[in-house]
Amino acid sequence: MILLKVAWKNIWRNKVRSLVVISAICLGLWAGVFGSAFVQGMMKSKIEAVIHTEISHIQFHAPGFRDEFNGKLFIPNSTNIAEKLANDNEIEAVSERVISMGMLASANKNSALRLVGINPSDEKKVTNIHTKLVEGSYFETNKKRPIVISKKTADDFKIKLNSKVVFTMQDVHGVIKHASFRVVGIYQTSNNMYDKMTAFVDISQLKKLYELENGSHEIAVWLKDHDQAEIKAKGFQENYQTLEVKPWMDLSSGMRMMIEAFDVYLYFIVGIILFALLFSILNTMLMAVLERVREIGMLMAIGMAKKKVFIMIMYETVFMTMIGVPIGFLLSWISIQYTGSHGIDLSGAAYENQGFESIIYPYLEAQSYVEVTIMVLIMSIAAAIYPALKALKLRPVEAIRKV
Amino acid sequence: MSVIETSHLTKIYDEGPVAVRAVDDVSIQITEGEFTAVVGPSGSGKTTLLNIIGGLDRPSSGSVKVADVELGDMNEDQLIKFRLENIGFVFQSYNLIPVLTAKENTEFIMLLQGVSEKERDTRVLQLLDEVGIGEQANKRPSEMSGGQQQRVAVARALASRPKFVLADEPTANLDSKSAENLLDLMLQLNKEENVTFIFSTHDQRVIDRARRVITLEDGKILSDESR
Repeated sequence: MILLKVAWKNIWRNKVRSLVVISAICLGLWAGVFGSAFVQGMMKSKIEAVIHTEISHIQFHAPGFRDEFNGKLFIPNSTNIAEKLANDNEIEAVSERVISMGMLASANKNSALRLVGINPSDEKKVTNIHTKLVEGSYFETNKKRPIVISKKTADDFKIKLNSKVVFTMQDVHGVIKHASFRVVGIYQTSNNMYDKMTAFVDISQLKKLYELENGSHEIAVWLKDHDQAEIKAKGFQENYQTLEVKPWMDLSSGMRMMIEAFDVYLYFIVGIILFALLFSILNTMLMAVLERVREIGMLMAIGMAKKKVFIMIMYETVFMTMIGVPIGFLLSWISIQYTGSHGIDLSGAAYENQGFESIIYPYLEAQSYVEVTIMVLIMSIAAAIYPALKALKLRPVEAIRKV
Repeated sequence: MSVIETSHLTKIYDEGPVAVRAVDDVSIQITEGEFTAVVGPSGSGKTTLLNIIGGLDRPSSGSVKVADVELGDMNEDQLIKFRLENIGFVFQSYNLIPVLTAKENTEFIMLLQGVSEKERDTRVLQLLDEVGIGEQANKRPSEMSGGQQQRVAVARALASRPKFVLADEPTANLDSKSAENLLDLMLQLNKEENVTFIFSTHDQRVIDRARRVITLEDGKILSDESR
């Protein structure tokens, strides 16, 4: 008890120094937690964008289709498979897609483009492109051969609503086909690369152009539980061995690698912060010990066991940590709550070109709060070990003579 | 009965270019209840002798027996425990814990000994009254004069009920009035509590009041005079 009392009083001897340590712990924790939340928020928005806007949870393809987007590589009897999948209890929705790589031309420009044939009512259940419209409608039109293009394409091709565009492609027999479409909707996502390359038409029209009667190139599946994607994909792969079934993390190029890389990046950031924190505490506690050499020598001279001297110095750090951690924790929580709802606008940083949202909403799982807090606690205590050991090495007979 | 017995005690410092014999073949016996001054000029070996007797330093050769226990046979941790249970220290610069009050400073050593709260309270109040600073019990060292701080140091030294008190130049930082008062106090405690006091000093006022004076010069005993 007396050790706790002395340790507590000791930390207020030099208020400025103790407040520096407490602030370092507080800011270290905040930086670690907020940094993690920023990265997690960035990844979460990226994942959500990839899943909701681009690919859904799981996709079925004919083997080899994703490598070269060859229209001949389609899923036979895809409608039957889609219907069967729709009856699965764990599946929320299913959408068939026909995909063609071809050339889109307007009066001003032509360029390569991936045309995706969809059933709008099904597609609304597996992706959210219909919520990304900036002009026009999502196939709610009487116009013949409607097409929904991105704002990026509209700007590049200098076209607008009602403009006519021509798409050139090969059908399943290898014959070149042309078809004209009327722009009825313009969408915009946060992924410039995706926007530049993707346009949507009604699946029946693209099937007709392809001369594809009973089949499609892709079946997109939306699960009830996002976290089951990998497990369910594995199960489907076993059931549909003639097809290629992939979860979202293997479908978006480099997504799995990016998630892993970001995890490493996250640990690296937190590691650097904690390392800086460790040296800050170590330095300050070492100063606190060296400043009290004579007093510590006296304590040992009058009979205070070395173990108790060690514990007293450790208590001092623990007290400062116990003050700094809740403040840092609260500060982190407030920062994450605020920025998590208001967002951090990084429009100028060209994150959109990398496929990230321009507004980041920091987000942190409860477990991560606990993990970072424990790491800060361990680091703080570890930082005090060397100064405490240094105190133990003092010889009372020499220490009590120090001025 | 001897409380302290040294035999051919020698301490040589050989860290510099020339080896220095700080204590040179000192053999003394101090009995219970003595009020002894170890005197001599600066560098004569007074503090080194006290440090060895107090188990703070080890001799190069010779032996020290305190209460029939050979200090040379103990390791560092055993020495710390031994000091806690047997020796009271009074330092030249008081060396109180600055964040604790006079009462807490006095009580500290008893807490290390594991003395019960009731016994601590009684003993602390009694000691602080005896050293004449009962009313300053809740003051911190920074709020007290040098003389008052040294009185607290004496109370702390006696709190653990030691076999003897070692005081290294206890009056060196005090004005003459405070020094006289402190000497009166130590003599009174020596008589009333039968505490053995051994102090190093070159303060003539202290030497005049001591009942035994051991004079050192160049580490050797020049004279050992009882009055």
